[in-house]
Order: sequence, then C-alpha cells, then structure tokens
Amino acid sequence: MLNRSAIFYGLGAMVLAATTYFVTRSMIIQQAPRMVMSTIEARIAQGAGGWNACFHNRVYGPRANAANRANPDSIISSMAYDLSDGPVRVSGEVWPRYWSLSLYQQNSDNFFVVNDRALETPEFDFILSLANQNVADTNGTVIVSPTSKGIMLIRRFAADADDMPAILENQDAMSCGPL
Amino acid sequence: MKYVLLVIGTLAIVAASFFAARSLTIASLTDQTSIFDDFEQTESLWLFSDKIGSAAASGVERAKVAIGGPLGLSAKEAVYFIATHDTNNERLVSECTYLVTGPPIDTRWWSLTLYDSNTQHYVPNEINRSSWNSVSIPREADNSWRLTVAPGRQTGAWLPSQTDPAQPFELNLRVYNPSDAMRAALPNIPLPAVERVSC
Repeated sequence: MLNRSAIFYGLGAMVLAATTYFVTRSMIIQQAPRMVMSTIEARIAQGAGGWNACFHNRVYGPRANAANRANPDSIISSMAYDLSDGPVRVSGEVWPRYWSLSLYQQNSDNFFVVNDRALETPEFDFILSLANQNVADTNGTVIVSPTSKGIMLIRRFAADADDMPAILENQDAMSCGPL
Repeated sequence: MKYVLLVIGTLAIVAASFFAARSLTIASLTDQTSIFDDFEQTESLWLFSDKIGSAAASGVERAKVAIGGPLGLSAKEAVYFIATHDTNNERLVSECTYLVTGPPIDTRWWSLTLYDSNTQHYVPNEINRSSWNSVSIPREADNSWRLTVAPGRQTGAWLPSQTDPAQPFELNLRVYNPSDAMRAALPNIPLPAVERVSC
C-alpha cells in the first residue's frame, strides 16, 4: 500500500510537469509571432540600410528570398520601423492598378490598412507615431502604432513584368524616414 | 539526502516537461500545412479564414500564420482561400495533372499562386511562373478561365508543379477588395474547381 508521502510526491510531480508543460507551450505560442517579426524586421533593415528606411522589391515574379507564401503579383515596398526615437514619415504616390499601405505591430497583427481608393488624392503622406508622441504641428495623416517597432508594407499589383518600369519609378518617388 | 533527491527529481521533471512542450509545440506550429488547421472548409473544399492579421485570432492561430505565411492582410482588405485537395478531396500532388476552372470573381483583382507544401515557398521552374492573376489569365467568352497544373509544359495557361512526383502542393487564391455582394456571401462564394485529370 502506498503511503501518504508517496501519493503526495506523485501528485506534486504531475502538477509540476503539467504546469511546466503548459507555461512553456503558452510562452512559445506567444513569442513565436514576435520572433518572426524580429527576423523579418532585421532582414528589411539590412536591405534598406537601417530602420525607418524604405526597402523595395524590384523584381516581378517568384523570388528565392521572398517570405513564406509571398504573392509574386504584389510588388512590395517595406520598412522596419522603430518609433522609440520619434515619429516616422512615409510618403509618395499611389499605384493605380492597386496600392495599399498596411502596418503590422510586433505581435504580427495587421492593425492598419488603407488602399488607393480610400485616399482623397493620388499622393500619400503618413506619420507613424506612438500615442505619447507630439505630432500636433506636423502635416500628414497620423497613425498611432500600438508598439514602438513594427513593419510597414506597401503592395502594388503588377499584372505582369510590363508593369515593372512604372512601378520602379513609383518606388523611387517614395520616401521613408524620421520626421 | 532526502532533500537532495527531491531537488534533483523536481529539476528532472521541469526539464523533461519543458523540452517535451518545446518540441511538441514547435512541431505543431511548423508542420507543412499547420497554418491551415484552424481554417474552415467551404462548400467547394477550399479552406478559408477571416482571422489572418486580425486581433480576433487566437494565440495559436496567430503563431501559425506568422510562421507559415507572415504579414497577410486583414479581411477588411483581402480574403484568402487555400486548396490542398482536389474536388474529390484527394491531396494535391505533383505526380498528377489538374484542370483548374474558375468563374468570374467579383473583386478588384485576384491572384492564384502555387506553393510547395513542404518548403511553403515557390516551386522553381523553367518559365519562372508560380501564379496567374485576374489580368494575365486568358479568358473564355463568358469571362471564365482555366489553367492546367502539371509538372511538365502544357499548352495554354500552365502553372508548373514540382518535378518530384511525391511532393504535395497547395493553391492560394487571394481576393483583393471583393465586392459587397461577394463579402456578404463569404466564405461560400463561387470558387475555382480543381479537378484531377490524370496521374
């Protein structure tokens, strides 16, 4: 017959194992999107020459260095942003076939998206800031980011490679940087 | 001595539970098609989720999408449909040839992309094509369209699958700015049929 101590230690061991298992699992699930975002941010910042700078995909079609399940018909400009030293401006012109600007916070949620048809003009001028930063005297549409770091993507629909020369011009007319 | 054994036993249980949780959780998040585990199946067998990029996604859904297909647009802007099986509910594999026939889709634009399910990436091929879109796809008189998915070159619109016949693949249909009528009918909108022609 098992004595009371053995039962006590056995139950304690099961509770400890289950607690460790579920805490570890929860941490991995919570941290996985942030780790993916950090990896992509580092790649974008490396390609752009730093944070808060534009990085352009200049090629139509499948690319070996694209993200998992990337869309080859969507020509991307991206920026890894870090607002800890102040707001960041993104400006340029939309692309008429289809253009959208989307923002991703550090847990990978797409917290903001706008497309060309929702804008009043073909030009765009957005200021990314944190809620506690003063942008009262700044021109441009202010977007508050829930996290200091994140990713901005601009998508342009390219029907085929013939669209690329005009898209490259559109990319070159874009600017990203601190205010 | 008793307390030493107790501490060693506790550490062993914590370590074993930690490594088991880490191994099993990472495996479940990174499995080739685990990203689609929480998608719902439409009447036409395409998989659909309106929680991509959404704050409403659960922690597991968010982690799977971040790993398998990061930076997707929220359903406000675009909706995504995935085919991993044909119309007979058989897994899409590269040893077979498939005919994909699509109705007109009431949206601003769409694109259909083929990915290797193992690498979750494009399939290298001789014509460097992994997609067709609503502008580039040749149309029938009634505005419908068709393309062939096969490892070898085909006449007409061709989407190359792998030359390794055992490799599974998937089709990803992205629908950008669907019409209000289309949104109201989600997810059971008219979607392409993926029929196995031969193996």
